[in-house]
Amino acid sequence: MSRVRLRHAVGLLWLPALLAGGGSVGGSETALPPAPPVAVAVGPPERVEQIREEHLPNVLLWTHEGRAVRFYDDLVKGRTVAINFMYADCQRACPVATHNLTLAQQSLGARAGEVSFLSISLEPERDTPEALREYARMHGAGPGMTFLTGRREDIERLRRALGAYDPDPTIDADRSQHAGLVILGNEPAGRWKAISALAKPVRIRQAIERTLLPPSRWPVGEAVVAEAPYELRESVERVDLSALPRMDR
Amino acid sequence: MQLSRRDLLRLGIATGAASVLPGGWRSSRASDLASSPATRPFVLELLPGRGIPPIARPVAPFATRPDPADCVNVDGTTAFHVHGPRAVPAGTEFFIVHERPVEHLFSPDLPPSLLWGYDGSIPGPTFIARSGTPQLVRFVNDLPERDSVGIGEPITAIHRHGGFQAAEDDGYPLDTFCTGQSRDYFFPNRPDAGLLQNEHSTNWYHDHAIDITAQNVYRGLAGFYPYRNRIDTGNENDPPPALGLPSGDFDVPVLIQDRRFNRDGFLVYDSFDHNGFLGDKFCVNGLIQPFLRVARRKYRFRILNGSNARVYQLSLSNGQPFVAIASDSHLFEHPVTVKSFVLGPAERLEVVVDFKDARLGDRIFLVNRLEQTDGRKPGNLVSPGTPLLELVVDRDAADPSRVPDTLLPVTEGPRELLPRVRVQRRFKFERTNGAWAINGEFFDENRINARPRVGEPEIWVFESGGGWVHPVHVHLAEGFVLSRDGKAPPALERGRKDTLLVGASFASEVRILIKFEEFLGRFAFHCHNIEHEDMRMMGQFEVVP
Repeated sequence: MSRVRLRHAVGLLWLPALLAGGGSVGGSETALPPAPPVAVAVGPPERVEQIREEHLPNVLLWTHEGRAVRFYDDLVKGRTVAINFMYADCQRACPVATHNLTLAQQSLGARAGEVSFLSISLEPERDTPEALREYARMHGAGPGMTFLTGRREDIERLRRALGAYDPDPTIDADRSQHAGLVILGNEPAGRWKAISALAKPVRIRQAIERTLLPPSRWPVGEAVVAEAPYELRESVERVDLSALPRMDR
Repeated sequence: MQLSRRDLLRLGIATGAASVLPGGWRSSRASDLASSPATRPFVLELLPGRGIPPIARPVAPFATRPDPADCVNVDGTTAFHVHGPRAVPAGTEFFIVHERPVEHLFSPDLPPSLLWGYDGSIPGPTFIARSGTPQLVRFVNDLPERDSVGIGEPITAIHRHGGFQAAEDDGYPLDTFCTGQSRDYFFPNRPDAGLLQNEHSTNWYHDHAIDITAQNVYRGLAGFYPYRNRIDTGNENDPPPALGLPSGDFDVPVLIQDRRFNRDGFLVYDSFDHNGFLGDKFCVNGLIQPFLRVARRKYRFRILNGSNARVYQLSLSNGQPFVAIASDSHLFEHPVTVKSFVLGPAERLEVVVDFKDARLGDRIFLVNRLEQTDGRKPGNLVSPGTPLLELVVDRDAADPSRVPDTLLPVTEGPRELLPRVRVQRRFKFERTNGAWAINGEFFDENRINARPRVGEPEIWVFESGGGWVHPVHVHLAEGFVLSRDGKAPPALERGRKDTLLVGASFASEVRILIKFEEFLGRFAFHCHNIEHEDMRMMGQFEVVP
């Protein structure tokens, strides 16, 4: 545990207790990306490496089970992941997102073990590992679904690197706005996408399968479309010509 | 007008290898991606075969193939429309185009990037549609299954944007073909309902595969598809009723796109920018800030914003106005003279510029003054802006071309159609907890959002709140803009539009009048900020008898 830089823990009152309690930190000591290589003509960039450098910071986090982990080394490297942001006290989007992700995970069946569901707290001061453990229990989250907390600045760095932010600072400050996205990635394949965690669980599960599996093993056919029911969702309203300006023509 | 070095500096055009970004021009995302390496502007010339795309040439007729049904999309679906071999009318022109990798030079200051081009051309070859002459185009996917660049997926669908074609030929996002496969597209090339007013002007074609369109278009899969008809003949020497618009070398396609490069100078894309990807280098027809030699006469420029998410405001550095003659797919009824215009993703504006008053040696710049730093919306107008294209006046040339006061008369417009409207629909384009929705829902392969009856005009109301701008695109038909926030549309929107900026300063509510003719079945409508589109800000309508 001595490798963890304690100065990072300033401001997190629950952290020293965890550190005293032990836990393991995998991977490298530094979360900083390596220095850029000397600029020579090297051909097209290796996409996987580029994504790791720019989007998968190796920050230190704590799981709802109280384990210290590195984001890249311990959670993402070599894995297929479904990442969302939430907080235990969130009333609207988070419970729905967590519910949908839980259903998607369950419907993965035998493949569930191949996908890590990572839910990262946007209120790290409040969401202690114990609080997240309670949240996980309340939502019936099983193995493979990990709730994470950490230093606010690390989580902010992660959130921006993964694109879960709003360019409007006012909206960005509203945490509930970030709870609707699930970012799917197959790290070794360099395949990353994002969909709404508020979409139907069946569509989330299908998107996860297409992130996890090589294209040759993707489920195919009309059955994929028809797995969600046909819907006619017309939004017809009264014709209102009086709302129109006078037309020249 | 001869620009002094001081003028050039004022325009942000430093000579030599210095950065061309004018002061205050910020990169698209402050947080992570570094700026692209410096490139010198106005070094590469737009020439036929480099920057001016080749004209697609017909081949001998061939037997058509059934559409592939087994190509698996990124979202796991397979083709929705699968057509057997076609029996095409006599006189149909046949084409074969191969989608393939190409080493492309954006600038002599950057190494070549490995792009994907139609026939290896950036932009793709220009197809010329002649009204009354159908075309059968076979697109062959020769893209590699394994790709080291990692931008895009070798799964493609072709959408002729603004085109009037059947659902199975419209590039419906599930109707894809994979590496080693091809799909035959039949384009009837006739105006909607046979009306002269519906003769098309400038379409374009681009990738439309579900989930991956943004990256495939960014990788290079886009090209022009202009039309000719009995008044817009493609020959400025033709007598009336031909309009005599500038033609041949004086009819220039201008595809504007923003791109970004890594520190080694290779094209990069950011899969984690869910708001709309912006580049910091500006390309015209695939070349960073090129130049074009022009003669002292009239030119027709078909200006297309093929960027994923960026909105431009374009003007000429010498203050000269544009004579606008067409918006999106149709000529205007009358020309409109403007000093500047805004162009959102996928929008087209055709303008005539007459260089007759310029002096030999003058350098005139097509300038973008609209700053945009994220996919949300453009920011303020900045001065002096960024020059995208240098026009070098270097010779005299005869000019038999004309711009008549009446271009394409409208015989069936709002006055005729509004009394027949029985259906009004409302579509709210909105950001929903960090993702993109229409009426609160994300594109679902099995949901229909509208069932318009063929030939019956409807009012469609588009809304966007929350400070985001969405370029809303409807397939199959072009609409008349009825109002923007209850007010009459601006002059440049009094023609027909297939893509409309909705939201932010462009009005939070836009009403259009639209009518779908002839072709039944499912078509898409969506946001043309392509990242939003891929994240399922898309709906579908089903035209019914």
